[in-house]
Amino acid sequence: MDAIGYRRLITKARFAFARSQRWRIATILLIVLCTFSNDSSGQRRRSRARPPAPKTSIDYSKFFHTTSEHRQTCDACHKGPTENWKKVRGFPDLADYPDHEACVGCHRTQFFRGARPEICTVCHTKVSPRDDERFLFRKRDAERQFSIEFPHDKHQDVIALFRRWERAETGLLQRVSLVLPPSDKQKSYNNCTICHSTMEKVPKVPVSGWVDNFVPTADTFKSSPLGHEACFNCHWKAQEPINSDCAGCHKLATKPFLVNAAPERISVKFRHQREQHIAECTTCHIQITKAASLRGLKPDVPITSCTECHNKDGLRLDVTNELEALDKNRNFACTYCHTSDKGRLDAPASHYLIAGREPVKRKDLK
Amino acid sequence: MLRPFLSLALALVLGFACLAQTPTGVIRLRVRVKVGESNKGLPRKRFFLIKGSLEQHKSLIEAIEQQTLETRDCFYKRAGASQALIQWLREHDCESVYCREIDLNDIEGPKAVPEFQQALAVGEKEFGSRSLAQKWLTVNLAAKIRDGFYRQRQEQLRRLIKQAEQLSGAPVLSVMGDRNGTAYFTDLEPGPYLISSLIPVELGNQRVTWNCPIQVKAGDLATERPYLVSNRADRNVKCVGVEKPLPVCELAPAALR
Repeated sequence: MDAIGYRRLITKARFAFARSQRWRIATILLIVLCTFSNDSSGQRRRSRARPPAPKTSIDYSKFFHTTSEHRQTCDACHKGPTENWKKVRGFPDLADYPDHEACVGCHRTQFFRGARPEICTVCHTKVSPRDDERFLFRKRDAERQFSIEFPHDKHQDVIALFRRWERAETGLLQRVSLVLPPSDKQKSYNNCTICHSTMEKVPKVPVSGWVDNFVPTADTFKSSPLGHEACFNCHWKAQEPINSDCAGCHKLATKPFLVNAAPERISVKFRHQREQHIAECTTCHIQITKAASLRGLKPDVPITSCTECHNKDGLRLDVTNELEALDKNRNFACTYCHTSDKGRLDAPASHYLIAGREPVKRKDLK
Repeated sequence: MLRPFLSLALALVLGFACLAQTPTGVIRLRVRVKVGESNKGLPRKRFFLIKGSLEQHKSLIEAIEQQTLETRDCFYKRAGASQALIQWLREHDCESVYCREIDLNDIEGPKAVPEFQQALAVGEKEFGSRSLAQKWLTVNLAAKIRDGFYRQRQEQLRRLIKQAEQLSGAPVLSVMGDRNGTAYFTDLEPGPYLISSLIPVELGNQRVTWNCPIQVKAGDLATERPYLVSNRADRNVKCVGVEKPLPVCELAPAALR
């Protein structure tokens, strides 16, 4: 062996030694940690009659439909309609969590682990054998695990005529919650109102609060159908997808997501119910009838829908005036239609086109 | 060594950027029809926009004009629907029972529809609640009565759309007119298109089909003039439909009530 070969051998041996040393240190650390954790659980054991569930890597207080073992047919666990439907919903529905048998087959160990098995907290408000109180089904503020596939165009096609609003007292009307039926004197133009009516309560305040402290009135917004009530009156048992075909509408999301209950609007100052704004929905929402699905669809309203009144010579020049104000001060916020979060952005080219000008960026203004 | 690939990638990126910036056009469709003496907007009918020229879609237009679809009344008669139901559908130009609210007058009284009464009785038994049975009335109607006609039309539409997409190599777009017959096609690539109703629209005792060419220009916002569609030729009408009398409904004796 020459000098170079010898040096290589020495280097290899050093590395091997260092690696084995690392393993040794890691093993010692693991033993210390285990001992420590056993000790602490031992302390808790002394203070309680029954031992709490030892922590495992799986959080059994959370239920995920994405777990491979949970990916079964929906009716393997959800048996509908649940017994409480009359009391809770007023129409046949899944209004409660699955029975214990849906879980216990696989999760017997977790069911009987410790005094307060964390698995119980998936459905139960209190973990006690004497209290079977459960959360509202479904938990309103919880993360959603399914997205909804809704063919908007098909529904537009079949309910293609104006539906009348009266007769609420006869119970004939399928009304969406949080909506206000228009009075007899109110103009109500079309069938969209069957699902989208004027809201009667201001929506949830955004997490960061209302921008500029501008609190929109309830009638700024239109409602959307919530829950099975709006679907099952047609899709109960014959019109597909029927109540047992959950996947007909619900698609498992790749990861849970929170639904933003606060409204998202570019022009939050536009009030749907203002008298001058009451028109057929498709007068402004010109894209909606061409969309097959609502996935990714923003019911965008072109600026021309607004400027027919709001930027007409001799009438009003709201867009032109704000663009002129912007020319004088590049920090100007357009607040006639927008709150300042949107109003401080560059005005889009469409706005300049309406005003008969070339688009300008704020940074290019003095 | 990487330089040619980088140049190619850059060219592709620039190409896509240029494509993305191509100005698009808009079609403002206005459908007005003359039935008898009245001249009005045709509400809530779907129109289709197919990429390509009239010449390119000759075979499709032939297929559209030669289709032998049953009329609505005939379909429902054949399905064994009562005269009251046929009248109920006719009143609001409905294709199916989902089209409008089923109200108390449709269940009780002289205009009552027997199919609705039967469905109500079944629902009452099933749900133990008359009001719920009323709300959910359509769930207990026979399939053919409920939406058979709508499904038949959809099936025909699917076939024609497939044919159109094969011919044009592009997806077929569609919009439904509002109650005045106005609708918009937006973000359109410039070029020739065919506007079509694909299936005939029943107007009085006539059926009308529309198949008209249209040229979309870049940056065309269609704010000035709408593209006027009608069943009668007129000065401003750009697309005149082909009118034919409704086919005679021949029923087998068993289908008659």
